Amino acid sequence: MNDRDLGRALREVELPRPDRERALAVVRAAFADRERVSWPRRHMRSLALTAAAAAIVAGALSPPGQAVLGSLRDAVGREGVKRASPALVALPTSGRLLVQSPKGPWIVQADGSRRLLGSYRDSAWSPHGLFVAVARKNGLLAVEPGGRVRWALARRDVRFPRWAGSVTDTRIAYLAGNRLRVVAGDGTHDRELCGGLQAAPVPPAWKPGRGWQLAYVTKRGRVEVVDTETCAVTWRSAQFPAPRLIDWSADGTRLALVTADRLVVYAGARRLVRTIRGVVAASFAPAGDELAVVQAGRLLLFDAYSLRHPPRRIFAAAGHFDSVAWSPDGRWLLLSWPAADQWLFLRATGKKLLAYSRVTEQFGGRAYPQLRGWCC
Amino acid sequence: MGTGGPERAWVRGAQGGDASSLEALFRHHWPAAYRAAYLVVHDAGAAEDIAQEAFLAAVRNLDRFDARRPFGPWLHRIVVNRAIDWARMRALRPESGGDALAGVAAAEHADAREGLLAAIRSLPPDHRAVIVLRYLLEYTPGEIARLLDLPRGTVNSRLRRALDALGGKLEDDR
Repeated sequence: MNDRDLGRALREVELPRPDRERALAVVRAAFADRERVSWPRRHMRSLALTAAAAAIVAGALSPPGQAVLGSLRDAVGREGVKRASPALVALPTSGRLLVQSPKGPWIVQADGSRRLLGSYRDSAWSPHGLFVAVARKNGLLAVEPGGRVRWALARRDVRFPRWAGSVTDTRIAYLAGNRLRVVAGDGTHDRELCGGLQAAPVPPAWKPGRGWQLAYVTKRGRVEVVDTETCAVTWRSAQFPAPRLIDWSADGTRLALVTADRLVVYAGARRLVRTIRGVVAASFAPAGDELAVVQAGRLLLFDAYSLRHPPRRIFAAAGHFDSVAWSPDGRWLLLSWPAADQWLFLRATGKKLLAYSRVTEQFGGRAYPQLRGWCC
Repeated sequence: MGTGGPERAWVRGAQGGDASSLEALFRHHWPAAYRAAYLVVHDAGAAEDIAQEAFLAAVRNLDRFDARRPFGPWLHRIVVNRAIDWARMRALRPESGGDALAGVAAAEHADAREGLLAAIRSLPPDHRAVIVLRYLLEYTPGEIARLLDLPRGTVNSRLRRALDALGGKLEDDR
């Protein structure tokens, strides 16, 4: 084959058809956003001077740490942040979001571009973000972020896949009906866990660190931690009404349980260290010692190892938030606000807020989407 | 690649905020950007994302772009460098059950992609990139050296080795 033939062959060889119009829509949205910010750019100097003067006044009048919250208060109403951007054109830091909508899971890249993975009803990142475990009514699948299916298992009524492990060995825990199952990350060795443990419809949570310990909620509303290799139950909580969420701290020494009316935090999965009422969501930082807690219209940050100490209030509004996710670098929090149809990105220091509106429309338009994780 | 009058007008129009000019630029350059990315990464989803990210980078930096210069090389530099990074990352970061997954992928490719595509896929990402830049996008070795920040001699040797490998592979398939 000569040079000319090679060139012609490269131009003519048939490739998978890309979704050009989807990409164009994303580029158009970014371009429109660029235009929206062009006025402040032209007036950056005068704006900066005004902002600096306002900051000096605020600093003089407000106690430390309250200045930013105070300045935000005027910009936040019951309907959400007033000057929210109508299109998510970029995440504030690195990583990718996994978002579950009624149409299926979406991956949002750092530049704001997004891709619908397919018609799946639940999803979870693999530990390093190279794959996504997705659930269909009658199947569990591993797909690449580009959407290509790597393997699939036919199982009935699959829900709540949760993937954990190291670079060399990973496992996915999931529910098939009301029974817990575990499968290796390459789709092999799928089995019912310990002869068919029955679980409540709550996502299980792998304990970080060595071994394969899994926390799950029993049908009676207790949290059990089971060693998935030996089937030994290493810990069992008291019974709670309607447990909804389990989360481990990054070092595996703290376990948080959110129930219908409270947050309960255990140390070493044994000793109860704190109960906080009215909590709807909680999430440990990906590293370090902070626990983000959503309590109606407040986002609070606790020191996970000194839970008796007063928390820092990161954000508050006259509304109800429903979930929170940490960025992979632990510097930002994503707070979801369904009634306002907004996402709020907040620096963990509480000193910066980026708000995006029309979230539902940006993810298919049928219902407000759920966060499934902010990955590497 | 199109460096003539219309493209210059589209760039100026987009810089002035005209969405239709941006769309014209996109439609003109998208096919080659996607094709170049695909031939380096051999993954449709990743190629789409890479091409899209390149256009987003262009949008972000539009104000700084010199409209007298051709838009294509600027875009292709982003596309090909990102594609190389992606392909290298994929090679370095096998996840759980990597061997088994690679086996599945290889089988899928063997079924679906024969001949030229399979031969290109057998090359290292760096070699795929120079082949794409030289024979698909028709840059000279000197231009490729500037796009990839490489010495010209390195580009020439990569081209030679890549062509030898391609020739051998296509010969084997006959």
